[in-house]
Amino acid sequence: MSPPLLSDLTASAPRVALVGLAKNTGKTVALAALLGELARAGRTVGVTSVGRDGEEHDVIDFRIVKPRVELTAGSLVATTDSLLGASGIPSELLARTGVRTPLGEVLIARLKGSGALEVAGPSAASEVREVSDAMLSFGAEQVLIDGAIDRRAASSPDVADALVMSTGAILSESLEEVVARTAEAVELVRLPMLSAEAHTEAKIRALADNSDPGSGLVISEDADEFFALPARFVLTAEPAAIDSLLRERAAPRWLLVAGALPEAFLAGLVPYLRRGGGPLTVLVSDPTRVFISERNAGYYARAGVSIQTLKRIDLRAMTVNPVAPQSHSFDSAQLRALLAQAVGDLEIFDVMHPSYTAAAGLGAPQGVVG
Amino acid sequence: MPHREVDLSAVGPYADHLGDGLVQMSFTLPVPYSLAARRAALELAGAIGFQEPEVVHYEELTAGYTYFVMYGRATSTVDFTALAQEGFDIEYMSEDEVERFAEAHLGRKVVVVGASTGSDTHSVGIDAMLNLKGYHGHHGLEGYPCFQTYNLGSQVPNSVLLAKAIEVGADAILVSQTVTQQNLHVQNLTELVEMVEAEGRRRDMILVCGGPRVTNELAKELGYDAGFSKGTYPHHLATFIVRELAARVSAPS
Repeated sequence: MSPPLLSDLTASAPRVALVGLAKNTGKTVALAALLGELARAGRTVGVTSVGRDGEEHDVIDFRIVKPRVELTAGSLVATTDSLLGASGIPSELLARTGVRTPLGEVLIARLKGSGALEVAGPSAASEVREVSDAMLSFGAEQVLIDGAIDRRAASSPDVADALVMSTGAILSESLEEVVARTAEAVELVRLPMLSAEAHTEAKIRALADNSDPGSGLVISEDADEFFALPARFVLTAEPAAIDSLLRERAAPRWLLVAGALPEAFLAGLVPYLRRGGGPLTVLVSDPTRVFISERNAGYYARAGVSIQTLKRIDLRAMTVNPVAPQSHSFDSAQLRALLAQAVGDLEIFDVMHPSYTAAAGLGAPQGVVG
Repeated sequence: MPHREVDLSAVGPYADHLGDGLVQMSFTLPVPYSLAARRAALELAGAIGFQEPEVVHYEELTAGYTYFVMYGRATSTVDFTALAQEGFDIEYMSEDEVERFAEAHLGRKVVVVGASTGSDTHSVGIDAMLNLKGYHGHHGLEGYPCFQTYNLGSQVPNSVLLAKAIEVGADAILVSQTVTQQNLHVQNLTELVEMVEAEGRRRDMILVCGGPRVTNELAKELGYDAGFSKGTYPHHLATFIVRELAARVSAPS
């Protein structure tokens, strides 16, 4: 049996997000591979990008040539009016979205010919979801959402049903560092779901459903008692304020954060825990709400604060780019083997490597990154 | 003026007559002032691709360094007709026009919070845009009656910037950040956007980034609504913000 392809692993998801850990990790190359596979399978796709895809040169380093986004006739696309016009591909306008981007208004169109074009759709997560759903309703069997730089919002389960993550040599000149940082990113995406006794979990979820965006609750062990955090507390509170607030009431067990969870807040919980408080579980909607880069989730778990989510991200596959453009490169097979060891239970592809292009029945693509 | 002769599909620099490709440039080489230094400058210009490079002036900058002024002919051209279709050119309003527009379409103060985020210590761009003093005789948004501005200064964590924006009900957040070729600082800019998303505020706030290398194309990748770079004056920024806000008010999405 031949190994699975990216398109096999993502086939069951109506909306697939492609998110990279940095620029030039190969998101757009992965998108191009997926598009090629889906075109040969005769599937009707819709494509959008939270950034900009298919441009000829990198936006920061002009020396870097970017991959083209090739779409077949019948494909749907959400991109700006000017980029659609510039492609020269005949198309049928399906909807004007009213979404304004720095590159123009986003349209939804059905291509009446094949060719390469630049894709720049909505940036805001809620608008990405809206245009994705619109493309599905206009007949797309699957929508591919390309990310930009290291932006993760499109991978939220509120936006996409599945995630393909891209990593690569660009993260560090050290192979071990690339593997370690990728493993941390995977750990973040795979944060455990809320785990509590069924009755308690139901009460916590009900509280979460009734929480306003940006608010927070301190909840007792059995979820019978709770009180609201002051406005913007999670974004700004210093360790001393956190400590005194948590000691105000008996036995806080859960911290429900209905917004962003910045690292400074997690770090601010550590002194409280060291002085005998806790343990605590911080609950967020999904992993895209968590902003940690200094320490990883394991560090905070050991300190007595675990992070759990109400919804999970369905990570289906990872792609690697062993080349850091204008810099260094690693051996593709070695990088993939080390990553497989570090993350476990995840299909890892280099879609430019002969081992993949042969399995996909493709010729070797051109030497570009994205 | 020979304006009508210009072939916009193949535009190149010119000095004396259209198409001559003449470029004046200046740079410093870390070599002692000498004939060999002059030779090095000529070879470098040739290696870059300039034809008929010519050193018109060179002098010792300090011991071991030589400063050059050169001419050379560029042979490359760009297709301006393709570029002109990209993005949208907006016509900028004057300060008075911004004021009248805000009064007619918004009827309230526009709240803007600005900062240089993360590790960036360069607050010059933010100061020029927001502070009364402004620059080049254009005062910043603080001087506009229709704007209420908060300048948080430099090295502001994204979470603190966002909290302030929420606290004061900001219509727009303005951040400046030096973007380098190694894109070391891009993560700070994307993190702010992601944090605004995580707080569920993305559609309530106009996000604008500025910096020496920030283009609209980069702003789009970063997830911002607009990007401003060198040559931007406060009234350009003001025009964008009031127009975008008016568009959002009239067509809530």
